[in-house]
Amino acid sequence: MSLNVIQPKPRLSGRELVRIVLSMSVACLAGAAVLGLVYLGTDRYRRASAEAAERGAIHDMLGLEADARLLEVRQYLVPGARRVVYRAAPLGATSGTAHEVTFTLDGALAGERDVPVAVPVGKELTPLGRMFVAARAGQPAGFVVQGETRGYKATIRLFVAMKPDFEIVDMRVIELQDDPGLGAEVAQPWFREQYVGRTAEEIARLDVTRDPMPEDWKQALVALARRAPDGPARHRDLLQRERTRPIYAVTGATISSRAVTEGVRKTVDHFRRRWWLLAPHLEGSL
Amino acid sequence: MSRARAWLTAALAALSLAAGTARAAEVRVLSARVVAPSELRLRFSAPLPRADAENFRLTHAQAPDIPIPVSRVRLADGNRVVLTFEQRLMPAEHYRLELADPPLAHDVRPAAWALLLSVMIAAAFINNFVFTRYLGLCIFFGVSKKRDTAIGMGIVFTLVMIFTAMVSWSLDTFVLRPLQLGFFQILVFIGVVASVVQFLDTMLRKTHPVLHRKWGIYLMLITTNCIILAVPLLNAQASNGPLDSLALAIGSGAGFALALFLMSCARERLEYARVPQPFQGLPIAFALAGLFALAFMGFSGLDFFR
Amino acid sequence: MSTVIHPGPAPGARQLILNGIFAENPVFRLALSLCPAVAVTTTVLNGLLLGVAVLFVQVLSSVTVTLAKRLIHPRVRIPVYTVIIAVWVSAIDMSLAAFAPALYAQVGLYVKLIVAFAIIISRLEVFASRQPLVPTFFDGLGMGLGFLLALLMIGAFRELLGSGSFAGIPLVPGKPLLFFALPAGGFFSIALLMALFNWIERRNQGGRAGPAKSAGGHGV
Repeated sequence: MSLNVIQPKPRLSGRELVRIVLSMSVACLAGAAVLGLVYLGTDRYRRASAEAAERGAIHDMLGLEADARLLEVRQYLVPGARRVVYRAAPLGATSGTAHEVTFTLDGALAGERDVPVAVPVGKELTPLGRMFVAARAGQPAGFVVQGETRGYKATIRLFVAMKPDFEIVDMRVIELQDDPGLGAEVAQPWFREQYVGRTAEEIARLDVTRDPMPEDWKQALVALARRAPDGPARHRDLLQRERTRPIYAVTGATISSRAVTEGVRKTVDHFRRRWWLLAPHLEGSL
Repeated sequence: MSRARAWLTAALAALSLAAGTARAAEVRVLSARVVAPSELRLRFSAPLPRADAENFRLTHAQAPDIPIPVSRVRLADGNRVVLTFEQRLMPAEHYRLELADPPLAHDVRPAAWALLLSVMIAAAFINNFVFTRYLGLCIFFGVSKKRDTAIGMGIVFTLVMIFTAMVSWSLDTFVLRPLQLGFFQILVFIGVVASVVQFLDTMLRKTHPVLHRKWGIYLMLITTNCIILAVPLLNAQASNGPLDSLALAIGSGAGFALALFLMSCARERLEYARVPQPFQGLPIAFALAGLFALAFMGFSGLDFFR
Repeated sequence: MSTVIHPGPAPGARQLILNGIFAENPVFRLALSLCPAVAVTTTVLNGLLLGVAVLFVQVLSSVTVTLAKRLIHPRVRIPVYTVIIAVWVSAIDMSLAAFAPALYAQVGLYVKLIVAFAIIISRLEVFASRQPLVPTFFDGLGMGLGFLLALLMIGAFRELLGSGSFAGIPLVPGKPLLFFALPAGGFFSIALLMALFNWIERRNQGGRAGPAKSAGGHGV
């Protein structure tokens, strides 16, 4: 390291010391100014693109038209009070009103009110989860629910899309930190599309196998994921056979495959119970 | 006489009653441990008045509104209860147990030492900075030629890492986050690394000149190393608490020291190996590191809680 | 470190760029800043993103230093260089997070770690602080391009062998040699490519000994 050779240094004169301090301060101030400007310039785009990506994923998973109405419902825990608050507002809204419904932990209604979207939730509330409700003509047209599960190395976050009768329409892995080629393969289309078309009851009993996946089923799943024109038909035909069979694990990533299956099961199960409580109170917002 | 006796009996009765109620009110959860796949083992300070399934309500910390159904309650002896659930429970996760009678609530979570140990093991073996995250390679290949240097570097490194991680954590938690100045993160963290190294260097030179002559050069090398910066960045990314941050720093430092030591042992022997000419020097060292990385992949299924 | 110090008059732009790409390629020849070279190169696109980030940081920092070199007191030049690099890394980091979020999610940590890259600060010290604006710009460009190309090469090698695709487009069915996409495969890929660089150079020099040995002497 030629940069860091320790050399004996001559003593500094007072004037030089002032110059050094000045030089460092100017560098730091100029740096801070540049960073502040860049932050102000990019932050808006960062938020916008994060929101657009989320909205795009939801639209794509549910097959929604561009102007579909999307409601975002966030769930919070009121620590110490044994209460859960749901706050529903149109996705990405910065103005207007949000509808807040509060339940006790045992499922009894504890309160309901409208609040302006601009008012942030209390700092003491602990965020629990998020779900998105697509609405058509005042009726729910589909749900996307965020779930998480403990993967092989770290937490895996999922989006599970359901029809109003809780049949799975799509599943996406939105965050995982596994090895590429092994655990990370659970994000592959052929793996995630296996959940599509199964009902909530089937998901609740779903198992995972290490058997190799039949080649025709794999091709049908890939076709479905690529939105090929004959994809849905091929998938429907084979689903009759596969419906009663377990999920085929990714070779070399059985634990991740089980974790994802457990995550989907939990997400669907919890959402069903919550929606059953929540639905009557959100009719006005759809 | 008889009157005094009556008083005495009354006082004794009151005392025993008080003790009795105190004991009834004082039923506490002494320990709660999740045992895979689906059991919760509880120890109370006193026998429970009710031991039916409805008396217990267990929820996951992330889903406090959805109780996990209890399938069986087993009384081991008076104070011990084993609950079996219809779903799998994870020993590493957080749950909350509530009792109806007596009204009690208890957070079920792995012991702090177990969590710290698991973070440390994960950082040192499963996500070894050198072999699976590829950090600090410049220093890794530069310093791993001799065993003595590798050991010295490993020790200095771990110490500096712990120091910088804690200072950065405090700055991030108490200054940057509350003021929403997250975009200064990189600048602040590299500043912390540089200042800590400078500080230790001056301290060492003034107090232990001999040590400084031996280890000062490693201190200087550290400033331009990415591992030392990666630990605060990872801590900030995961919003770790102070203990988690400390565990990550210790584990990462130990993992780096281990990697340096192993590599230096292997490279000392490599001196005597006949290596094809294009592979001499760094290329063969890389291949060697690749073999270690392959071996370290074996750790990746390791879970302290499974 | 055997980086040549450039005190004399600077060579031409073309030569400076080629120098960064071949003779003093940061990854293969100088063995500097290797961490990201192994870490993010499981696919070509990841390598591209990081390479572009380094290119920008190198050029911007070099230009800043050469413009401000009169103001920088020699006693504190290293801290000032560090501040300059950290500022530009933060700026690039924020821009990538805003404009390429999907790719950034995979390499975010390594973009932040550019601040500790030895290659950038060593170019500031050996070149930008001694040369005028124009050559500094081209030197930074050459070093950045050399780094970018090296990352692209390793990325293409690993993605092709490991996942059987190029930039996400599947070319070969299945995964021919999954090993190369795994963490350990990164080390082997670099070993192979580095040996290839040495071999080519040795042949060009008509078998004179040296390059292999010189590569071995590097690494901080």
